[in-house]
Amino acid sequence: MSGGLDLEQRYRRVLRLLPGYYREQWEEDMIAAFLDGWVSGDPDDDEWALEFCRPTWGEVASVAGLAARLYLGGAGISRRYFAWGQAIRRAVLAVMLVHAVLGLNVLVRTAWSRRLFGLPAPPASLLTVPPSGVWPTVFDLVNVAWIVIFVTLALGHYRTARVLAVLAIVPGLVALAQAQLTGIMPAPFGPWAWWALFNLAPVLAMTAFHVGAPLPARLPWLLALPAGYLLVIVPIMVAQATGNLAWVPDFPGQCCLLVALACLVHVPRAWSRRGAGSGVWSLTLVLLAAIAGAYRIATLGNYLHEPHLMKVSLAELLILVAAAALVAPDAARAQTPTPAPPPQPQPG
Amino acid sequence: MTGHAFFVLTALAGGPRHGYGIVGEVAELSGGRVQLKIGGLYGVLDRLAAEGLIEADREESHDGRLRRYYRLTRDGRGALAEEAEVHAAAARVVRARLGLTGPAAAGAAG
Repeated sequence: MSGGLDLEQRYRRVLRLLPGYYREQWEEDMIAAFLDGWVSGDPDDDEWALEFCRPTWGEVASVAGLAARLYLGGAGISRRYFAWGQAIRRAVLAVMLVHAVLGLNVLVRTAWSRRLFGLPAPPASLLTVPPSGVWPTVFDLVNVAWIVIFVTLALGHYRTARVLAVLAIVPGLVALAQAQLTGIMPAPFGPWAWWALFNLAPVLAMTAFHVGAPLPARLPWLLALPAGYLLVIVPIMVAQATGNLAWVPDFPGQCCLLVALACLVHVPRAWSRRGAGSGVWSLTLVLLAAIAGAYRIATLGNYLHEPHLMKVSLAELLILVAAAALVAPDAARAQTPTPAPPPQPQPG
Repeated sequence: MTGHAFFVLTALAGGPRHGYGIVGEVAELSGGRVQLKIGGLYGVLDRLAAEGLIEADREESHDGRLRRYYRLTRDGRGALAEEAEVHAAAARVVRARLGLTGPAAAGAAG
């Protein structure tokens, strides 16, 4: 039995993956093209195929890929999907930037500790012990690889960046699984949250970097790498060298406060509604706030027995939520659908 | 211009074609190397239409279903010619580097 559906209905079900406005324009045409692929000219074979055959996995994958490109839109797509696509692309670049800044820190600390390039000896508190063993060496290499991934992505070499990023998140997963299975996981949720939010999610979201996506603004993103290092890592190193590290928030706290600061800097533009694309940046910041907030919540368990640090962490979360709320209305406006559909061909 | 877009435009340079007809023509033009899936094809058609390089030509009924035919626009023809020239120039450079230019090389190749 065919289960009540014929081949055409099965294809229509697959096409439900696509946005409504797109189906209105293209569904009938796509259905005809799909069914043409099954028709052999023999009435018996055709009848059997149209009743019992199913869309191939390759066809379903191609429709899913098209759906991803449309929902995470590029040029020519409706404003709402374009805004989401741009926001996700910028959020992914921002997360990759975090990885790259941390990778640059590993490089600089290693070079400094080994007194390469004639550098003076670092203070004892900044001395980095060379990695010993397989895992520390692998993680140092992965940290440096993120610099390459970020630069590759910013330069528009999406496929290379995707492949490298998939490879880069594997060692972390293996190490986490090993720690979980052998019972040596340092904290219950934090490491998994880090991997899920800062590794897996951005790598999956790299789907948004498709062939129809506009290229990122290369120079600002590339300059953000040394700027991020100078503005975030160097002050932390100074605090560490001067014995004031206790004043520096932990990494989830730094993420919360940096995103909150970015929101506050963006508020005047978001409220003035002047700049084109302001709403997309607001949406990007809301996405980043969601990532930073989720990571802060997942790591609260580290401070169950340290009430002071728990209060600090909750304060960081509160500051983040308040700052994100200031740009949230602008982010919502960016998703307002335009009444006119994207340009489509009409029979001439 | 992506490889798929180049092949789709080339397929339409021979005259208007419907969706599945383009898939078959692209496979033939590429010697079977490029097998467009329908999802991929309509992603390309959508982009090319948005860029004004193709447009719908007509609709015909076939087995109770409407087939929409597409054709190149003037801009599409220009873009394809430009892209073909880029490919030809690149091919000339490669042939020169490989020492395949000139009548002797042509004779050896033939």
